[in-house]
Order: sequence, then C-alpha cells, then structure tokens
Amino acid sequence: MIISFLGYPRPDGSVGIRNHVLVLPGGLISTKICEFVNGSHTIISADTGLLRTKRDREIVARTLVGIGKNPNVAGLILHDISAASGYPELKPETLAHRIAETGKSVEVITSNQYPNACKVIERGIRVARQMVCDASSMRRQLVDDSHLAIGVKCGRSDATSGIAGNPVMGYLVDNVVDAGGIALFGETTEIIGAEHLLAKRAISEQVGQEIIKAALETEEKAKSCGEDIRTINPMPANISGGISTLEEKSLGAIAKAGTSPIQGVLKYAQPPAGKGLYFVDSWPGSLSILLGFEAAGATLTLYQLGGGGFLGDTILFPSPSGVAPLFWTTANRNTFQLAGESIDFFSGTVIEGKETIEQCGEKLCRLVREVASGSMCKAETIKYQDPVEIYRLDHPF
Amino acid sequence: LKSKHAVHLNRKDNVAVAVEDIEAKDLVNIVLTDGSTQSIKALETIPFGFKIALTDIPAAGYIIKYGEIIGKATSDIELGAQVHVHNVEGVRAQIEEKKGE
Repeated sequence: MIISFLGYPRPDGSVGIRNHVLVLPGGLISTKICEFVNGSHTIISADTGLLRTKRDREIVARTLVGIGKNPNVAGLILHDISAASGYPELKPETLAHRIAETGKSVEVITSNQYPNACKVIERGIRVARQMVCDASSMRRQLVDDSHLAIGVKCGRSDATSGIAGNPVMGYLVDNVVDAGGIALFGETTEIIGAEHLLAKRAISEQVGQEIIKAALETEEKAKSCGEDIRTINPMPANISGGISTLEEKSLGAIAKAGTSPIQGVLKYAQPPAGKGLYFVDSWPGSLSILLGFEAAGATLTLYQLGGGGFLGDTILFPSPSGVAPLFWTTANRNTFQLAGESIDFFSGTVIEGKETIEQCGEKLCRLVREVASGSMCKAETIKYQDPVEIYRLDHPF
Repeated sequence: LKSKHAVHLNRKDNVAVAVEDIEAKDLVNIVLTDGSTQSIKALETIPFGFKIALTDIPAAGYIIKYGEIIGKATSDIELGAQVHVHNVEGVRAQIEEKKGE
C-alpha cells in the first residue's frame, strides 16, 4: 500500500478528504443555520419524497443517509421540518440512526420541542457551532491510497473527450482501482451502444448481464415516452462538437472508466460492497449523478468537460458539489483557454502530441493526491452551489 | 496547399478525427494505427473534432470509430468528405438485432 495522502480518518475506518459539518435536509432552516455558522454546509434539493412512490422515497432516504455517511462529513444535524409529510422512511430519527452507524456525531432537532421555526434555527446554530469547533480539532493523517474514492462524469462531450479527456480520466480510474480504492461511473443512457464492451469487463457473467439490462431498460423507458432517445442524446452541444450519434458518444464516454474489471452494478446512491470499479445505473444530469456518487461514498468527484456548444467559463456550469469537491478536467484547448480559471487539469497535450495518455494520466494522479490532501479545487473557491436533483425512477402521484 | 492532421483511433476505423480545422482541398495526413501514413484531400470543411471519411462509404454502410459501429451512412459518402449528422444516423436497433441472432 502506498501511503500518499493526508485525510481525515473516521470512526468507521473510512477516510474523508474534507471535514464538513452538514445540516440536512436543505431548506429554510438549514440555510439559515449555515449562513450563521462558518464551516457548516447544506444541500438543497426539491426532491423531498413528497407524493412519490415508496421506491422513490427510499431513493431520497438512501441519498440523505449516504450524504450523511460520506467520509467528508465530520458531523451532521438533521431537522424534521420537511419530514412533516410523515412518510416513515424519511423520519429524521430513522435517517439519523442509519447515519450514526458510522460513529460520527449526529444530532436530530425535533421541531415540536420548540415554539417556532426561529427557535429551531437558534438551536441549530448552537449545535452547528459546537460541531464546527469539534471538527476543527480533527487532524489530517497520512493514509494509504486504498482510501481514495472517486466518481467520474463527462459532459458537453466532443471529440476531444473521446480521444484524450476520457482516456486520461480512465488512467486515473485504473490507478485508483489498482491502489485498492473505489471508482464509480454511471450515466446509463451514455453506455448505450457501448454496453457490450463494458459487459466483457464485468467480473462475472451476472454482472455483465446487469450492465446490458441497465442499458436496455433505459432505452425501453425512453421509448415508452414516445420519443426516440436518439433525439435527446447526443445533445445539440455534443453534435456541434462533432459527435454524430449516441453510440459514438457512448464509446467515447466509457473511456473514462478505464480498463479495470467492473465489480458490480449499483443503484443510484447505493454504496459499493467492496473496493474497485462499479457502474452506477443512473441519469447523466450533472445535478443528479454527482450527488449519487457522493451518497455512495465518493469523496472526490471529477467532471471531464468537452467543449461542444461551449458557453464560456465553467463558472456558468452547474456547481452541484454536495460534500465532495468537484474537480474539472478538459482536453479541449479552446475550452481551457476560455475557462482555465475554473478548470483544474488540462489533458489536451495528448491530442497535441506533447504527452502520452500515460504521462498526462500520471500528472492527474499526482494532482488528485494533492486535492485529496487538502489543496482546493477551483470550484471550491466559489461561494455558490446549485440545487441538486435526486434521481427518481417513478412517476409522481 | 496546407497540410493538416487527423487521428485514426482504431485499425478498423473508416473515419479519422480532425485535430485542427481542415478546409476544403487541404491535404490531410493521417497516421494510421499500423504506423503508415495516409494522405487524403479534404473535399470540404472538416472542423476540429469532426470526422473525415478514409474510404468511400456507400449508403447504409457502417461508420466505424473506436473500432466499433457508431452509425450507418444515410447517403453515399466519398473519401475525404465530412461524416456527421447530415450523412450518418445511429444504428442501435440493428446492433440489438445482431445480438439476438
């Protein structure tokens, strides 16, 4: 085991790369607490589970629990304002109990113990201030690379993504997996046309079949809406970057998953049972999938940006980081020139013939250790966070 | 005439990807995966990141990139022409039929 980064060891043996105090669920109460208390953090989602199927409510609950359990969270406050709908799986006590299995500090604030919302906020501020103080006394320690846990996504993909950006990301994925860590990738729509290649890499025939099934089910679901998926994806932005078909997009996209064996197929926000590379059956939306990776335990998320239909600075791109920093890469020289202030790594040198995928990938691997040890991602320097979209499977009623 | 570059990603591919903007009549040098070089004349503009045909591809013929089928030609495509949504469509359904055989 290579001891190569400085992380926050947690009571359950996991290792965080950040040290957040989290207040959930997101909303007025959480926002006001976090505005008042330095070092506290919330995540805003419109998906509260209200009027959703049991299956979808469980996804919401699993996501909240997963975010709370994420090793980047030092301590957590759960309040019950948005649990007024009464669904049992969303009760703060239930969520708190599941999160507390990690041994981290979890406090539930029950609103009916206070005369009004302002008093709930007041209580939250007191608790959050103490949690932030406690978290600040925790120290980073040298740990081995098997504690790396990353989730990778690509977006606004163009030809540079398939040639260099995603293969370099794939090099990192293989590196993390070889070191005994965890790597997650997903975006089921964008394995359509390439799922047979992923299935060949599955550790068992069953896992391979699950990969194929995930792709076919997504395709069928799209057809059931009466719209051919190919009219939605590739997006116009991809087409303007030179990608002609969904198959072409998928074949470029899967390069970000490297060459390692695929251990299993996970549901959205489902933590993996072991180490290695996992496929997450999920929707590619930026505001959704990164949250799902974090809820499954990823402590760092990476976004490989193309440039087709590029709007300008990535500061304009969704910034949905919940509790894991978001690391931006691109292989498009034009994108890098436009948005370099917001992009953490440039891999276009591979296209320009200045570096091989291996040379560029090694640089990325080293930089990821720096970020894991506390160096900030560009996105972390901005005081803004988009709301997130929890991936749901069913119709609302 | 200027000489431009495009990359050939897999030995099975019948397209290459422009790594710089290519104008009509430009000579395009493509280093093939077997190490040899193919020089072709671009028939039209091939913007950075777009595909150029390395052979004549008949209508309904497969477009191969990354060594895999990415679509089929919706019209005859000439060597040196741009290969994109105007002359390619996805063939996903056909790939599924093949799998079922």
